[in-house]
Amino acid sequence: MKIMQKKYIIWGLAGLLTGAASCTNLDEKVYSEIPADNFYKNRTEVMAAVLRPFTHANAWAAPTGQVGYWRVSELSADQLAWPTKGRHGFDNGDWIRLHRHTWIANDNNTWNPWRLMYWGLGFCNNTIKDLSAIDFKTIGMTDEEKASIIAETKVLRAWHYLKLMDLYGNIPIVTEVGIPTSPPNAPRAEVWAFIEKELRENVDLLPKLQPSLVGRVTRAGGYAMLAELYLNAQVWAGTPKWDECVAACNKILDGSCGSLSGAAPALETDMMKPFATNNATSPENLFQIAYDYTVGNFRFGFQGDLWHYVQGEAYNSAFRGNNGIVVIPTAYDAFAANDLRRTNWLLIGELKKHPALRKTVADSLVMGTEEYNGKPLIFVKEIRKNSTGQTGEGTMMDGEENSGARFNKYQTDQQTNTAQYCNNDFVLYRLAEIYYNKAEALMRKNGNVATQEAVDLVNEVRKRAFSATDWVTASYTIPELTLDEFLAERGREFIFEGKRRADLIRFGKFTTATWWDHTPTAAKYNVFPIPYQQMVLNKNLKQNEGYDQ
Amino acid sequence: MKMRSTFSMRMSWLSFLMLLTTSLTYAQSITIKGKVIDAKDNTPLPGVTIRVVGTTTGTSTVADGTYSISVPNATAQLEFSYIGYEPIVLTAGSNPTLNVQMKLSSKTLDDVVVVGYGTLKRKEITNAVSSIKAEDFNAGGARSPMDLVQGKVPGLSITRVNGNNPNASASVQMRGIATLSGAVAPLIVIDGVPGGNLDLLQQDDIASIDVLRDGSAAAIYGTRGTGGVILITTKKGRSGDPQYNFASYLQTDAVAKRPEILNADEFRKLSPANDMGGNTDVYNELINKQNVSQYYTLNASGGTDKSNYRGAVFFNRAEGIAKRNNRTQYGGRLNFNQVGLQGKLTMQANLVANFNKADLLGGSAGDFEQAVQRNPTAPIRNADGSFVETSAFNNFNPVARLEQELSERDQQTIQGDGKLSLEILKGLRVSAFGAIVKNTWNDRQYRLRNSNSSKQSYEGGGYAYKGNRMELDQTFETTIDYNTTINEDHTISAVGGYSYFYNTVEQFSANNSGFLTDAFQDWNLGNGLWRTLGRAGMSSNKVDYKLVAFFARANYSFRQKYFAQVIIRREGSSKFGENNKWANFPAASVGWAISEEDFLKGNRSINQLKLRVGYGVTGNSGFTSYNSLVLLGTGGAYLQNGSWYETFGPSRNPNPDLRWEKKGEWNVGVDFGLFNNRISGSFDVYQRDTKDLLGTFETQLPPFVTNTIYTNVGSIRNRGFEVVLSGVVVQKKDFGYTTDITFNRQRNEVLSLSNELYRVDRLTYGDLPSPGNLGPAIRVVEGGQMGNFYGKRFAGFDDAGNWLFYKKDGSKVLAGAITEDDLGVIGNGVPKMMFSWNNNLRYKNWDLTLFWRGKLGYDILNLKEMYFGNQTWIPNNVLKSAITKHAALKVPAQYSDYYLEPGGFVKLDNVALGYNFKFRGNYIRNMRVYVAGRNLVTITDYSGLDPELEDNGATTGIDGRGFYPRTRSYTLGLTLGF
Repeated sequence: MKIMQKKYIIWGLAGLLTGAASCTNLDEKVYSEIPADNFYKNRTEVMAAVLRPFTHANAWAAPTGQVGYWRVSELSADQLAWPTKGRHGFDNGDWIRLHRHTWIANDNNTWNPWRLMYWGLGFCNNTIKDLSAIDFKTIGMTDEEKASIIAETKVLRAWHYLKLMDLYGNIPIVTEVGIPTSPPNAPRAEVWAFIEKELRENVDLLPKLQPSLVGRVTRAGGYAMLAELYLNAQVWAGTPKWDECVAACNKILDGSCGSLSGAAPALETDMMKPFATNNATSPENLFQIAYDYTVGNFRFGFQGDLWHYVQGEAYNSAFRGNNGIVVIPTAYDAFAANDLRRTNWLLIGELKKHPALRKTVADSLVMGTEEYNGKPLIFVKEIRKNSTGQTGEGTMMDGEENSGARFNKYQTDQQTNTAQYCNNDFVLYRLAEIYYNKAEALMRKNGNVATQEAVDLVNEVRKRAFSATDWVTASYTIPELTLDEFLAERGREFIFEGKRRADLIRFGKFTTATWWDHTPTAAKYNVFPIPYQQMVLNKNLKQNEGYDQ
Repeated sequence: MKMRSTFSMRMSWLSFLMLLTTSLTYAQSITIKGKVIDAKDNTPLPGVTIRVVGTTTGTSTVADGTYSISVPNATAQLEFSYIGYEPIVLTAGSNPTLNVQMKLSSKTLDDVVVVGYGTLKRKEITNAVSSIKAEDFNAGGARSPMDLVQGKVPGLSITRVNGNNPNASASVQMRGIATLSGAVAPLIVIDGVPGGNLDLLQQDDIASIDVLRDGSAAAIYGTRGTGGVILITTKKGRSGDPQYNFASYLQTDAVAKRPEILNADEFRKLSPANDMGGNTDVYNELINKQNVSQYYTLNASGGTDKSNYRGAVFFNRAEGIAKRNNRTQYGGRLNFNQVGLQGKLTMQANLVANFNKADLLGGSAGDFEQAVQRNPTAPIRNADGSFVETSAFNNFNPVARLEQELSERDQQTIQGDGKLSLEILKGLRVSAFGAIVKNTWNDRQYRLRNSNSSKQSYEGGGYAYKGNRMELDQTFETTIDYNTTINEDHTISAVGGYSYFYNTVEQFSANNSGFLTDAFQDWNLGNGLWRTLGRAGMSSNKVDYKLVAFFARANYSFRQKYFAQVIIRREGSSKFGENNKWANFPAASVGWAISEEDFLKGNRSINQLKLRVGYGVTGNSGFTSYNSLVLLGTGGAYLQNGSWYETFGPSRNPNPDLRWEKKGEWNVGVDFGLFNNRISGSFDVYQRDTKDLLGTFETQLPPFVTNTIYTNVGSIRNRGFEVVLSGVVVQKKDFGYTTDITFNRQRNEVLSLSNELYRVDRLTYGDLPSPGNLGPAIRVVEGGQMGNFYGKRFAGFDDAGNWLFYKKDGSKVLAGAITEDDLGVIGNGVPKMMFSWNNNLRYKNWDLTLFWRGKLGYDILNLKEMYFGNQTWIPNNVLKSAITKHAALKVPAQYSDYYLEPGGFVKLDNVALGYNFKFRGNYIRNMRVYVAGRNLVTITDYSGLDPELEDNGATTGIDGRGFYPRTRSYTLGLTLGF
């Protein structure tokens, strides 16, 4: 009996000790993120996915600190550069290679725009795939809304392709996530045709631009893309499309694409307004990345790239700059002295400290921190070592903390003005560009000679950059508005807007002209190489002509 | 005669019977008396159970260790048993006095090694395993338990990157780097709890630290075994007279070396334009010269043969060399053991707690960067008492920061574990083990409205932060083990089991700004205006993962001459992709005790010689959870029908194949003992190939959404050898000298970084800091070594003080003309060799330890020279070398081999002198007083502060601009047993 009892106890305990060994389930439970298969349950969630590529474009289309479309388009062209400033800004020589056109396939400047833009394009492909599989009625939305949302995403995707094709020429066309692997690159003309087809098929499915759709791709943005596509068709597809360009511009000009204010878009009379903190309501703007620091805590963070370290003191802003991108001397000189765009959009000379930050009456100027530590920070046109008496033109290696005129097109307001502070949208297309696009198409059609209509279009925009007295001599006439003058004028109007490289290429100047520390290079630099990172992974990619690997 | 003989026979027969009966009934034939003492310290052991084998007769020793027992005759067998000690069986013998010495049981004996899920005798070991006992630990106050064995285990690199900072931990790596992004550190197992928390260990509670160095031993820990396994065993209860032990130390740190910077007058002379009129030594202002660390612990142990306990409490106040850099902790450890159910059911339980409060504000690398570069003519304060903030790039007043900010952590760590073990049949035992480790902390920060940070980043509204984190580890394991000996020739021991491990981390934090007053600090967080402006921060998250495993190990030995061991672990992790949830980790090893063979047996010079060969597969699953899933990540808010909503998109490419890193390791070793074991040691060579390296690799873009995927690609090979030598030089009554040497050499080569779908062209580490963004310092490529410095080759300066570098073709050009083609491998930051040399001397009651330690064969990139040793660093202060060694240089720094220096060093790392008092009375058992010093002498060619830098992981050999001061530590300590 005792033995039996002992056995029961021992085996019973043994069973207890080992019996709990049963759990073998290894499924993961996610707490703080959302697994993809548990999303799109309502309108807000659907739109959260649709809008993802827009916030992503912040990284590549706007100057917000990454090497994206904006940065390579501006720093490789004849207006802006990132010279070293004393011990700052060598950055592995990246900016020097952009300025002097010596980039290679294995270069940050080659790889990062591709990476960022195809990533945004991947978001578009993903949204289209996911939304196509959803029955919108089950989540309280209509099939019309579905068609409109998908059309918007397709137009947005076409815009990604347009900018990718601009930089890289021959690129892979992929419309599904993960399919096919190892896609080959299509010839540029084929990419161009694909973009045209996508835009044409979808642009009229989009709603008109209206105040509630600020920041979204509407018909106005879609036609602006078409205008750009046709304006550059000669370079991109090998065939001019001047009439189509004019037609696309007219669609916007005649008001049939809507506007952010009023029935049709209109030029601002104040040149600062398209870029101001309240530019979400500017009738000049057609497509922009919407920002709202006050409510959305999402801002156009250009300060890092474009401000001096302590430039925020001038505006009573806590944001810091990296003292990076400046206007090169030749670009500064391209503005006439009486051109108000030079006075308003560029910053030169001493910098007044914001009154809210002055400790004493004498404490009225922003002071330097490097070569001019403890002395007033005075921005100068030259990029050279003035502090050690250097003369001449200077080079990319010769900058100091105060070298070069600075960016002032977008201004943030002061931080105490919480309703407006840093609420500027970044404008991707505005009406002035449509004016210039149409004017250029008209000139090209007319044997590269201006027509009166072209002159009028340009003058209408240019007029606000001059005082009434100056305008008498500053306005263009047909003989004055040569192609070269047109290119220079286009540069002045769209400085800092990320468009200069494409313009120079269209005018055949990008690799043939000379500016500041840049001498002519080879035709191959009109497109960037296919990034090395992708060449080695995808055997079906062919390198652009003239580049290694 | 016949009758008489018959009679006498009967009589004697009867008397024998009577005698027998009497003896059976009264058991009084022989009385044995004696005393039982501890074999080591000769203290009497009370409560020792004494039993006559084969009878129910028994007794136990009394308080002074004496006993008295009757045995039937001189051939009777007496069994002495006592918890915590090796049982002894002795023949009673004819002498009525039988004094017995008992030895502490196997776990604390030199010849027993903890190997995970059990122990083995040293002679049965067939792998590379090191076992360090408490008496061999480094002396002096240890900031971390890892300090105790620094330099003691060959191949185990323990590096304190932050010097003696009480709030920083050591980095630990075994046998070189075997991973690119997985966990580097070995698995730490404390009393069987995997992933144990080192905060729960006090140096006086640790009995031994055992290290499984190679894969054929570590395979029992499967997906966590690749980095090696460190098994820490704490001291347990012991039966007998209640005992107390007290230990204490006082320690102070003193600066070993400080950077040579320009003083105010020198700076003024060099740069009159930046003279701010003062005369300041910021470094001095940041140092806590009066730092004293104190440590007190008291433990009590006792119990009977059936149950015993050990309880310890401690208090520790650790002060760093920097101001506002300290840690106060207290806690305790309780161990309880019991045997019941007729000796068949054993229970062991531990309860451990650590409560600590740390001031995290001071001692930051950034503060000491300012101590070097801040303008020495800038006063700390203005005449009105306000702080002077210099205006140059990346400048702040570190003294002001220490006064105007607050950053504290309040942490509690507790562990509870218990094990029940039941003997079902002789040799067959089932056990269940459960453990919970909970680690929680609350952080708080506040920056005054008037502080620099507040003015620079928070519009002068102050900044308050609160955050907490809770981590919970739950372990449950059941095991069955079986031991048997067949025909005296075949010894078999086997263990098998199931293991479940579940880890959860929950975090919450919030910050706010825009405060109108400093009065609340962080105690009224909602009060700041930034909350209403939508700019206050708030976040929370939770992450968990699970490991489930089945495992078995079997050891076989034949006549203690031939040994074999096989291990298999089948383990699954929730982190792995859907297609690869489970993995197998096998290992096998054999040993041959050559010295037991007839041809060597009895050899007077070779006492011990054993050959070991093993191969084992281990894994690394040390990556974050959810990496195999497609998760939607947030992308910032965007305008949606007039409101700003967060956007969501896929945050990564899916990888349903994600799996463990797999390491296969060969280990061949020899153990030897020569000349009466006066020289003993071991030699091991290994080769480890780690495949399926975890990492973020490039993939095709398009068609995928993002350009990277977290996946398994490529392989690394580590090769090396390790030597341990111990010598008994002198062993006399009053004088003894023993010495130990460890040495190892290693190589880490990247075999592959690509497959058909994924690749990475190069891995770069050590991004050089702003200004200049001079790129990454370290580049790893296929076929290259880990830790290679890759950059320009210095060719001199031109007359204008510009850099000249070599082009590939050997020509000298300016920096701007250097292209990718001209760059090359210019050095390597991974030490090739590590060694240590320990000397223990004993003279009468004195003992002295001298411990040398070193690393050789690597380069250091000296960022202090690179940035501060440059005249263009003005208006910041510079090193003296800027106007001496680097005087020819007139332009900003460029990264090149110009700034590489040889890094090898030898340190006199530990010196301890102790005196053992002898007492005649009954009150004090032992008392020892010692003084110890750490990091006393460094012999090196390196010009910087300390050549011992981070050399674990992938970023190695870079001496950063900021730093924690390097110190020498002096300790005065006392241990007392009563």
